[in-house]
Amino acid sequence: MSKVGVVLVVALICNLLSVATGQIYTPGQNIHAEFGEVAKQFLENNCVDCHGATDPERNLSLHDLSSLDETNSAIWKSIWAQVTLKEMPPSDAPQPGVVERLRFSDCIVRELARVMKDQGGFRDHLDPSKGNFVDHELLFGPLPAGLQLVPTSTQARIWRVTPQEHITRLNDLINTEPKYDSDNPGLRAHGDEVPTNHGGELKLYFGTDRIISWQGGTVAYATAVKSTPAVLSSARNRGLENYPDFYSVNSAEATQIMDVADDIIRYMAFGPLSIAEPYQITDDPNSIADKMKGDIRGLPTSIVYSTKVVDPLTPIRDLMNAEGVSDMRLRASVNYLFEALTFLPPNHEDLDKYLAIVKQSIEKLGKVDGIVLGLSSIFLDRDALFRAEFAENGEPDRYGRVMLQDWELGLAVNHALRYLKPDDELRSAIVDGRMRTRDDVKREVERMLADDSIRKPRIMRFFREYFDYDLGGYICKDAKSLNETGVRSMGDSHYGAMFDATASTDRLIELILQQDKDVFKQLLTTDKVVATEKDNVYFGKQRSRAEIAESVAMAKKEKAKHESESNSNSEKKSLPQTKKESFIHSVTEANLSGPAIYARVSRRSFGNGSMKPERVLATAPAGQRLGILTHPSWLVSHSDAMDNHAILRGRWVRERMLGGGIPDVPITVNAMLPEEPHNTLRQRMRVTRESYCWTCHKKMDPLGLPFEMYNHAGLFRKTELENPVDTTGEIIESGDPALDGKVDNAIDMIRKLAESQRAEQVFVRYAFRFWMGRNETLNDAPVLQKAHRDYKENGGSMKALLTSLLTSDAFLYRTRSQSIASAAN
Amino acid sequence: MLDRRTLLQRMAAGVAATCGSTLAPEHLMAMPAINATRKRVIFFMQNQGFDPKTCIPEGMTSGGSLAKVKLPEPISPLEPYKERLHIINGLHGLHSTPSHSAFFGALGGYRGGDGVPPSASTIDYELSKVLPQTILPHLCIGMDSMENMRTKPTIATLSAGGAGQPIFMHSNPNHLYQMLYGGISSGQIRLEHEARSTVLSQIEQMAVTKGQLIPTADKQRYGQFVQGFKDVNGLRDRLDGVADHLSKFAPKVDERYTNPKFETDWHDALLDLGISALASGITNTLTIGSGRGEIFGAWKGLGIDQQGHNLGHMDQPDNPIWIKIRQYNSRMLVRIMEALDRVPEGSGTMMDHTLIVYTSNNADKQHTNGANWPFMLLGNFDGALKTGCFTQIVDKRPINALYATLLRAAGVSCDRFNMAEKLAQKFDAGTGPLKDLLV
Repeated sequence: MSKVGVVLVVALICNLLSVATGQIYTPGQNIHAEFGEVAKQFLENNCVDCHGATDPERNLSLHDLSSLDETNSAIWKSIWAQVTLKEMPPSDAPQPGVVERLRFSDCIVRELARVMKDQGGFRDHLDPSKGNFVDHELLFGPLPAGLQLVPTSTQARIWRVTPQEHITRLNDLINTEPKYDSDNPGLRAHGDEVPTNHGGELKLYFGTDRIISWQGGTVAYATAVKSTPAVLSSARNRGLENYPDFYSVNSAEATQIMDVADDIIRYMAFGPLSIAEPYQITDDPNSIADKMKGDIRGLPTSIVYSTKVVDPLTPIRDLMNAEGVSDMRLRASVNYLFEALTFLPPNHEDLDKYLAIVKQSIEKLGKVDGIVLGLSSIFLDRDALFRAEFAENGEPDRYGRVMLQDWELGLAVNHALRYLKPDDELRSAIVDGRMRTRDDVKREVERMLADDSIRKPRIMRFFREYFDYDLGGYICKDAKSLNETGVRSMGDSHYGAMFDATASTDRLIELILQQDKDVFKQLLTTDKVVATEKDNVYFGKQRSRAEIAESVAMAKKEKAKHESESNSNSEKKSLPQTKKESFIHSVTEANLSGPAIYARVSRRSFGNGSMKPERVLATAPAGQRLGILTHPSWLVSHSDAMDNHAILRGRWVRERMLGGGIPDVPITVNAMLPEEPHNTLRQRMRVTRESYCWTCHKKMDPLGLPFEMYNHAGLFRKTELENPVDTTGEIIESGDPALDGKVDNAIDMIRKLAESQRAEQVFVRYAFRFWMGRNETLNDAPVLQKAHRDYKENGGSMKALLTSLLTSDAFLYRTRSQSIASAAN
Repeated sequence: MLDRRTLLQRMAAGVAATCGSTLAPEHLMAMPAINATRKRVIFFMQNQGFDPKTCIPEGMTSGGSLAKVKLPEPISPLEPYKERLHIINGLHGLHSTPSHSAFFGALGGYRGGDGVPPSASTIDYELSKVLPQTILPHLCIGMDSMENMRTKPTIATLSAGGAGQPIFMHSNPNHLYQMLYGGISSGQIRLEHEARSTVLSQIEQMAVTKGQLIPTADKQRYGQFVQGFKDVNGLRDRLDGVADHLSKFAPKVDERYTNPKFETDWHDALLDLGISALASGITNTLTIGSGRGEIFGAWKGLGIDQQGHNLGHMDQPDNPIWIKIRQYNSRMLVRIMEALDRVPEGSGTMMDHTLIVYTSNNADKQHTNGANWPFMLLGNFDGALKTGCFTQIVDKRPINALYATLLRAAGVSCDRFNMAEKLAQKFDAGTGPLKDLLV
């Protein structure tokens, strides 16, 4: 048996003995007793009084439920959720002890995992949506008697690269992104994530930085330009999207990656010549007018590329342009591409294998096609699609944990912040053996955090996934309902505005991070807005019918006055084209003005209709907005086709602010609000007050309804259906008595949340999950407490929080053994 | 968690989306259940809209038989086949924003648009999953101008396997030939096939070797990655073993492939390959994107000099250009039917168990709100669908209702396809399939 195994066995035995004697319980550790025995005892002690054989509550009888099998696993899942979330036993009934509850909960998880092994296993407890099932008070409060923690670590694993990470990596092969410009820090720079395009699609564009003219308009450009969509996908669109165990790479993706590789390698070799005719590359489009005759809109031949080479010059181009195929150039190409794609230098074995593949391919297909096919194989290397955290080297400590080191540690740190390969300093540190200790990590993390020119898109990704403010452009809106909100519903105007709003919110968060002071509070309470011109409407106020009538009357009066003045003059003048003519009567526009600023947007994807980076940094209308949760980007992201989504918003507040958990909706529930156009959303939500629903909805609805002060396009409103809008709500059972109580509206609620230590701790929990790639367990309590402490003691510094998390045992240590504890981690 | 069937389907979809991988005929790889009737479906999506006046016989305003009426000139090639035809008018796609193409929304029944990623799977993909299993459940081909097909031989605009999961369509017949028939090919195609096969085998070996250190908990997940290569490479071996079977269906590679005069040469070659994939049993679902889901495209081989966007700005009825394009489409539909008629299956022919769905990704015209979205169905799908008639949908029913109907006809219980109840309250006056279509 290995040293790790011995240590674990000893540790397990110690714990088992302790548990057996009923003195000490270590969360996640194996339990000596049989499941049936533990279950029977818990149910008899806590459940069967109400859920007995006769007239059981909710018609659920648990008196004879002691075993767990495929037929009753759904009931046990429900019991697990109710007991773990302390929904059961009900608050007015005697409560089980902390250890008794934990032990029962762990037992159910273990048994569900065993029984459901052949049905894909039980992984609910590992899902980020169930992260809050771990008791907040136990994580941040004193440890009760009978509970003992073990030093934490994370299981050895592989991460599949994320779609954003993958496409940013590929983009770096063919496009030269501008260097970071400290004078214009908001402009997209090398190292930033490849943003989604004008329609919200994540795509890789070829040669757009060399396009100087094209024929036709927006759609013609979009059709003519060479692009390819992201091949890897995320199955989730809300919350944390990319735990390492979510995804693999299936064969469909693998084969498509090989296709994309072909295009990329040819572009690396020949630049735009791989996608255009030689005559299309000129700095004088007029000189090829004879070639551009007829209607060629939408064709690749309608594009003119500049002669200035801006795409990266790599060994691949040298290899293709040189006579013949020399071993040296071939080796350089494989070396270059391998490290560019995997972030690792190839070892001799890899190098030899890929060299052999390329040579064989050349032999079959000739130089160009052979090189392209052979090099494509590197795009499918394990390390180009996954990142390993195996912790193979290094001595296990007495808890069986091995610290990551060298490349694994260096790439873990790099991945925590960046999508591109390690910069020179980090690479040197790895190669020189200076990535082996906690201090090494601290040094590199602090260095990278201090340097704005080192772009760190993973941080922004965290905020997107935590807030979910980037979904507005994907919420399909009913045109009539959208029109009634006061915003333009013509064409894709609204969706474009929402993708712009996402980029704006990104930038606002960056500005708050730049200050790095009370970050969480600032996010919730800032009065600043990064805005486009359209945002004057979106941050405006929706008018009531009376106000609209007044506005129309005023406009008519103005027009009549103008005409009268014109008639009295000898020469008639038409009404000047002022903004008044296009004034939208249904909205009192905000006056968002301030210094010019930029937001990071996609490469030109839609001709002149592409997203533009220009913004202003403005102040939101007083009394109407407070922080990101009141911005249209967040509000629309939490709306539906025709209305606000108060339940979704309430759930967001419950989970992401208060750290509460909501059990899954029972499959028997058909969650539909009545279709009543003459009733407000609040009135229609009366159906959730039925007792069966209200148990859960009471924790969401009153937290979501305060946002009724905005319509479903995010405009502020005072009335709804011509009556004063009801914006009241209530925080209940938050876990912090100081927070509980009624609120007048969203702003009132947000102020309370922004002052809440609990909400701040929950923010830390989400950060932990994002950067560790897993849910926290009770064993992570010391890490979370320290992270929160470091955040507070450094004035609410995100940098301090990150440094704390990235130097924690949870980040640094891996366990290879399949102990119960590590499985739980 | 992926089961083997799903894995196989995804693998095959991936193979369909690449160039140079190989496939095996269905009966050698994945037999359908003993009692299952083999069915197949073809979606033909012409861009720029499908004006109802170009398909509804003159004078027909309400439903009725087509037996005694004459089909309009644009679809006149279908006249001999009108007992198999069902013209449907009056569905809508208001929610799919089809102006300038609904893109994925046309087959998905949800909001689409240029640059808008798919928000769910599309009906062709869903049908490919539920129809009796073939080795390549879903093949997509796209026809466009020669320049676009050469520069972008694969694009993804119409079909999707799920949210954010576009399925690529093939536009270079040489690549597609290599993918389908590389194992029985000769010359350059054969060389490319062999070279690619060798590389894929070596990638599989490397993936296996690098998987030895994978932690236990991740072995299954990593195994999916390795299995993908195993399946692709295994298929190639099996394909080599049935070269005789495939050679009966493989089209002849001629000048149209290697030296096309017009883009329509490639369109025809692509169609030949699509038909051969159906007839050989390689696939159960073929999606054809004429114009590739966008608002351009060219048909110079038909004597049409104008191309692209302008075609969409023309009125289609009585327009000689659009008569040519629609007749060309119709002749393609006839070619599919004739080819499948020639292949015996059960007590009849393949066509007896086949459905062709013809429509546009642009509803009725290029600049449209989608208030009317005409369709033509050909074939009764093994007796599941009515034919030989015209149906005017009177109630407000979305294209999603037709797709739910197709799923019903394929044996799947489905009341709504990709439409939540809340949206349905606004966009669908009914529930479930279009009863006038089902037998």
